[in-house]
Amino acid sequence: MKHFEYLEPGTVDEACGLLKQYAGNARVFAGGSSLTILLKQGFLQPDALINIKKIDELRRIEESGEDLVIGSLVTHHDIEVSEVLARRLPVLCELEHDVANIRVRNMATVGGNIASGEPLTDLPCVFITLDATVRIANTSGGRTLALEEVFVDYYETQLQEDEVLTHVVIPPLPAHSAIDYVRFSSSSVVDKPCIGVAVRMTVDPDGGACREVRVGLGCVAPTPMRARNAEAALEGQPLNDDNLQKAARAAAEECDPMDDLRGSERYKREMVAALVRRLSSRVYDQARGGRS
Amino acid sequence: MKKAITMEVNGASCRVEVEPWRTLLDVVREELDLTGAKLGCDIQVCGACTLLVDGKPVSACSVLAVDADGRKVTTVEGLAEGDRLHPLQESFMKFGALQCGYCTSGFLLTAKAMLDENPHPDDEQIKSYMGGSFCRCGCYQEIMQALRSVARS
Repeated sequence: MKHFEYLEPGTVDEACGLLKQYAGNARVFAGGSSLTILLKQGFLQPDALINIKKIDELRRIEESGEDLVIGSLVTHHDIEVSEVLARRLPVLCELEHDVANIRVRNMATVGGNIASGEPLTDLPCVFITLDATVRIANTSGGRTLALEEVFVDYYETQLQEDEVLTHVVIPPLPAHSAIDYVRFSSSSVVDKPCIGVAVRMTVDPDGGACREVRVGLGCVAPTPMRARNAEAALEGQPLNDDNLQKAARAAAEECDPMDDLRGSERYKREMVAALVRRLSSRVYDQARGGRS
Repeated sequence: MKKAITMEVNGASCRVEVEPWRTLLDVVREELDLTGAKLGCDIQVCGACTLLVDGKPVSACSVLAVDADGRKVTTVEGLAEGDRLHPLQESFMKFGALQCGYCTSGFLLTAKAMLDENPHPDDEQIKSYMGGSFCRCGCYQEIMQALRSVARS
C-alpha cells in the first residue's frame, strides 16, 4: 500500500475542510471494506484518508417527521437488524440477509455503498425506487440531490472533492402501495448480484390502476437506473398480461448490461424481462391486498 | 508517521505503534504473535482472516489497524479459558471438523459471534450466518455437525 496520512475529524465540517485542503488527493474512509481493497491493489493512491467514523451523528437510523433518515455510517448489518426499518421498510432488512457475508455487512456502510459508485450492489436500486434523496455536506453549505442523480458512471459519482455524503432520506410510502426487490445471483450466493430489480407502485383502490410506478434496475448498467419506459407501460392502467409483457420488454431494452462472468448481455436482458414481469405482478397483488 | 493505538486483545490491554497503512491482520500476527488468523483471499471473501472487533466478525485483512484503536479484538487464541477449550473448539475436535486447519480460526470466531447473537440457531440460520466462510478441504458436513451440536446444547 502506498503510504498515506490518517486523519480523524470529529465533525462533518472538519472533514469537508480537510478534504478541500487535500484538493482531490484525500479519500473519505468510512467502513473501508471496498476502499482497503482498492488501496491494497494500488488502484487508489491517496495522500490521506479522512476517517469519518468518529462522527457519531452519521450512525443513526431515524424517523424524521414522515421521512426515514439513514446516516451514511449505518452498516449493512445495522439495516439488517433495524427495528425501525423492520416496521417501516422490511424490504431493506430482508435484502441485507443476502449481501456479501456477515464480515462485510458488519463493516461496509450505506454511505460507502453509494459513494464508491460500485455498480454491483443492492441498496441503491431499492433506494431510487423509493425516490430517496441524499444530503451532501461540503465547504459551501451543502446540497441535496436525488439519489439517482448521484451516479454518473462505473465507480463515478457527482460527489466533489470536498464533499461528504451524510444521509439518505426516504419519503414515506403512499397508502395502497407496495415495494419489493429481487436479488438474482447467477453464481455463488455470496457473489455480487448478477441483477437486482426493485418495483414499487400504488394501486388505485377504485378500478385498480397502477400509479406512481417505479422500476429500479441494478447491476445491468454503469449505474443503478430507473426503467422509465417500463414504468410508463404500467402507469395509469390496471395490470394485465399485455402491459406486463410490454413493461418487461421495455426494461430489457432500456438497460445496458455488460458481458461478464455472471452472464452474457443477452442472458441478462432476458433475466431482466423475467424478473420485472414476476416482480411487478407480485407487487401489484401486494398493493391491492392493502399491504403497504 | 507511526500512530500509537490501544486495543484490548483477548481481554488484555495492548499498546502498539503502527503505520496507518498496516492491516489489523498483519499487526496481530507480526507484532502480537497471534498467528491463528490466516491470510487467505485478501478481498474479504474467504473468512480465513476473521477476527472479532467489539464482538463482531470482520475480515482483518481489510481492516486498518489504526481503525481498531480503542476497540476489543478477539482472536482464536482468546477463545479458551486457560486450559479449558471453548465448547466450539471441543465440538470441532469431536466431529473432526477440519483437515488442514487453515480456515478453522475463522470458522470458530464467526460461530462464536453467531452464538453470542443467537444461542440456538437452526440449520438454516447457521448456513446463512456461516455462508461467507470457506473450507477448501470441504469439511462442511463435519462443521455443520459440530455447530449443530453446540447450538442444541
